[in-house]
Parts: sequence; C-alpha cells; structure tokens
Amino acid sequence: MSLIRHLLVIAVLFGASAASAQGSSLARSDRAAATSKVPAEVLVVLAKEEPGDVDPELKKLTALRRPPFNSFRSMKILSRSKLTLTPGKDALVSLPNGRRVKLTLLRVMPDGRYKVKAAINRPNKSDYLPLLQVVASAGDPFFVAGQTYQGGTLVVGVTVDPKKTAQ
Amino acid sequence: MESQKTEDEKLQMFFDGELAPEEEAAVRRSLEGSPEGTAQLHEWEQLREAMKSVSEDWAGEIDSDALFARIESEITAPVIPIERPARQPAARAVPGGRERRVWGAVATGFAAAAAIFLAVVAWPDVAPQGDDRAVARGSEVLEVDFGSNTGTIFEVEGGAGESLAVVWIDDEEVGLP
Repeated sequence: MSLIRHLLVIAVLFGASAASAQGSSLARSDRAAATSKVPAEVLVVLAKEEPGDVDPELKKLTALRRPPFNSFRSMKILSRSKLTLTPGKDALVSLPNGRRVKLTLLRVMPDGRYKVKAAINRPNKSDYLPLLQVVASAGDPFFVAGQTYQGGTLVVGVTVDPKKTAQ
Repeated sequence: MESQKTEDEKLQMFFDGELAPEEEAAVRRSLEGSPEGTAQLHEWEQLREAMKSVSEDWAGEIDSDALFARIESEITAPVIPIERPARQPAARAVPGGRERRVWGAVATGFAAAAAIFLAVVAWPDVAPQGDDRAVARGSEVLEVDFGSNTGTIFEVEGGAGESLAVVWIDDEEVGLP
C-alpha cells in the first residue's frame, strides 16, 4: 500500500512539475510578447471621387476597392510612416491637415492580436476622434476615414506588425 | 533405505497417528525439510481438521459405518492432490494479486500524469502565437467615441477574406498647416 501511495505521489508530482514548467514558460512568452516593441505603419491616403490615378502601391490593398471606398476614383499616398509601438506609450504621427494620430499599444490578446488605442485630434484638442479601441491581427490594417482635405477625403490605415502582412 | 511401499505405509500410519512418538517426530522433520513435504503436512492437517469437524457435526446423524466409509474416502482422497503440484498456484495467488494492484497503481499514476501533461501541452493552442495567424485574422472595433461628430463603423473584406474595421467620421475640413 505504501508503494502504491509513493507511485501515485510521484506521478502527480511529475504532472504538476510539467504543468508548472509549461505554465511558467507560457507566462514568460506572454510577458515577452506584451512587453516587446511592435512595429507599426500609418498610411495616409488622399482619396477623391474625381477620376484619376490610383497609386500602384495601393492596388494590392484590395480593401480600398470595396465599399465604402469604392466611390473613390483616385487615390494618392500622402505619407507612409513607420513607427514602433511600446505598450503603454503613445506614438504620434502627424496628418497633413494638422491633426495627429496617437496610437497606443494596450496589450497582446490571448489569440495573438494586438489591442490598440487610437485617437485623432488637433494638438491639445479632442474634437475629432477622442477614442478608438481596436484589436488587429499582425499585418491586418484598420482604417479611419472621413476627414476632408484638399477636396478629397483622408483615409488613414494603421497596420500593426506590418511585416507579417499577407496582402 | 526403505521401499516406496514401506514409506507409504509409514506416512499412512503417521497420518493416522499410529506411529511411535520418536518415529512420528522423525517423519515430521523429514516432511518439514522440503516445501513439498511441508505442503503435504499442511494438507493432512487440514484434512484431519475437516474430518474432525465432520465427525462432530454429523455424529448421531449418520450411522458409524457410513461415517467410517466417508472418513476412509477422505483419507484416500488427499493422496492425489498431495502429489499434484497444481495446488501450488493457489498459494501464489496472493502475491499475484499484489502485483496486479501495484501495476494497476503504476498505470493509474502514469495515466494521471499523462492526462495532466497533455492538458498542459494542449494549452498553448489558445496562447499567444506570433505566427499563428489562423486563430484570428483581421481587425475589429472594440470601442469608439466620435466626440461631437457622427460616424459609422464598417467592415470591409481584406485580400485574404479577413474582416477589416473601418471607422468613418463626418468632418468639416480644418485649417491647412
């Protein structure tokens, strides 16, 4: 009976130690993912309904040819800013209309997506887009559109970890 | 050296309690000197007890001739099982059972450990995986504050069929830089 007890204790300890080792490994990887810096890209496009050219670099971005963007007949890239998102720290990108995009990496979700907070406002103002929270997979953008500029509309695309994009 | 017949007769007399004390002690020592003899001796003792019990229980219920015949039959009966080694496994049944219990415990223990290990190994399937893009694709809006403006949230299909979030805000053009 004593032998049986010892065997059961050994087995349970073996399983528990494996669980502990695996759990701590996961915790480490989670912390590492959450605290590491993540590259991001902010694409600013001026879209117009007037017929014109569509920047060749945008042709692979098929989302811009679908509603609600399909009413635009011309698209021009105004800027493509690369930045690094650090959890809890704001990253700023200036827009041609004087507003600024503020991005903050909040956390890495359990499914690997990034939870990002965004805001678009003039400096020291909060009159346009005070708050936007999104979750995005690496390489998959989200868009903020609607700002009028030079007879067109600004389309701002934000991609976290753009090197992993599949597009 | 005694013949087999003489030996059998002596054993029979030993069983019947008809030997002189010295001879009985010598036969007992001889039997106890080997595992087979010890087993024989044990069986005879059991048989003697059975006979004693039967005679006590049945005394008065059956006639003495029938009782004698039964005793005689039981006296002769053990000769065969004594010489058969087939009764030995019965004596090994206890350690065999213990072995089964021990191995059962080992199997149970390792099954429990394997179950815990597999449960833990399976866990990373839902854990952060930088390259595991099949788990979740696209982007989606969790929360939005349009401020003093009005806006709409769209979903547009990406190149790989993923759903991409579009926040559209109505706006009056602000001053140029």
